[in-house]
Amino acid sequence: MVLERAAAAFRGLVTGLRETLRTAARPKATLLYPLEKSNVSPRWHGLLALPVDSEIGNDKCIICFQCERICPSRCIHIEATGRGKERVLTRFDIEMDKCQYCGLCVEVCPTEAIVFTPHYEASTYNRANLLYTLEDLHRAAPKEPVARGILR
Amino acid sequence: MARALRTEELILNMGPQHPSTHGVLRLVVTLDGENIVEVQPDIGYLHSSVEKMMEHRNYTQCIALADRGMDYLAALINEMALLRAVETLGGIPVPERARYIRTIFMELQRIASHLLWLGTYGIDLGATTAFLWCMRERELIMDLFESATGGRLHHVYFRIGGVNEDLPPGWTDRCREFCHYFLNRLGEYHRLLTGNPIWQVRTQGIGVLTREQAIAYGACGPVARASGLPWDVRKSHPYEVYDRVEFQVPVYTEGDCFARYLVRMDEMRESARIILQCLDQMPPGEVRTPRVSLTPKLPPGEVYTRVESPRGDLGIHLVSNGGETPWRVKIRAPSFSNLFALTQMMKGWKVADIIAILGSIDIVLADVDR
Repeated sequence: MVLERAAAAFRGLVTGLRETLRTAARPKATLLYPLEKSNVSPRWHGLLALPVDSEIGNDKCIICFQCERICPSRCIHIEATGRGKERVLTRFDIEMDKCQYCGLCVEVCPTEAIVFTPHYEASTYNRANLLYTLEDLHRAAPKEPVARGILR
Repeated sequence: MARALRTEELILNMGPQHPSTHGVLRLVVTLDGENIVEVQPDIGYLHSSVEKMMEHRNYTQCIALADRGMDYLAALINEMALLRAVETLGGIPVPERARYIRTIFMELQRIASHLLWLGTYGIDLGATTAFLWCMRERELIMDLFESATGGRLHHVYFRIGGVNEDLPPGWTDRCREFCHYFLNRLGEYHRLLTGNPIWQVRTQGIGVLTREQAIAYGACGPVARASGLPWDVRKSHPYEVYDRVEFQVPVYTEGDCFARYLVRMDEMRESARIILQCLDQMPPGEVRTPRVSLTPKLPPGEVYTRVESPRGDLGIHLVSNGGETPWRVKIRAPSFSNLFALTQMMKGWKVADIIAILGSIDIVLADVDR
């Protein structure tokens, strides 16, 4: 009985090792992450941005407040002054620490002013860096260089 | 004799920071020597008040909340649960193609959830290889999700009256390729785990839940099906296109951890089969009903709908008083009822079996606490 169980355990071990060895011969499935980066799909929900349009020299926001209203986390804050043609944005803040990357703001935007960027490394050592102001959103890139940890 | 040797009972706290409790669950275990006398789960560490938050969000925003506030491993199925209630109450039509896309995504989500369960259960019982392999296959599903929805865990892809965007070009071929690849890999898992004597000793006959107990404690999903209760919402109350595809509901009668493991392994195979059938049947056309507002007003009334989540029977009771936001949302979470079946399963087993039994019910604490 004891011998039988020992033999069964040994068989299980050999089966496992055989599968492991077979897998070891296959191409590896992982990336050396901070050194190698993975490509994201075109629909990727990354960091939000308000890119500057080269034709008009400004972002395409028409200050309709739709993104602010639809945001389930209430993390977009917009303020504007002026009337008619002189209406300008004075504040367009996104609290990226509250954002859940649902994409509803991108969906409702009538002029495609607010878009997703393919950046996914937003980590930083200071929470204040996650408040993206209008200037940061125009730059359409992470506010701070990515926290690199100990690797260079 | 046994009475005379009885020692003083010891109360042991497991959690909430124990790595094998799959979240933040505290188990107050009363021990007699090494035997479990009683288990009292202490929940509420992950309470996110999602039901209350939904009362202050419109229905589209509720989708985003359902995504992250409930069962985070099955986000698309939560979206479906909410949308099924909204669409039933509002009488909103859904195009055929969108129904097929939803079914495909829900089944992919079920495979991803079961793979994560299998991997972490393997780690709990000391089989590290299973974890690495499951993560490898799950990553392929995440890539499929990413290219279609943009998100990996939280998608916000389903919309009221359809889905957000049509599938990207070439997606169906990649999905079909994945299903065939995955069905091959399942055989590998069976070779690695099912026939493994160590795995069998750790799971067979452990944590038995009888059919009567499963009914009395309201167990659902794979836990109930492993106890011989052939209950699956996809069969009993078909939604989307589940009545048009052919699939089996795996049922085992042993009621032990090994049966629960086998039920989930068989479910993954059936899910892959459902996806392949849906890909073949999927018609072209619209994916979203035109002229459905993002902020619809539903007629006053109430509705209770259910879907089959990877953990069991997920129900939503939605009450509307005619506004843009729900008046009340009650979520009937499958992990919650399975957690109370757990107290019955654990009685009389050894300390070392706690993790094996707890892991076998596939608990997600965000689903328990909501």
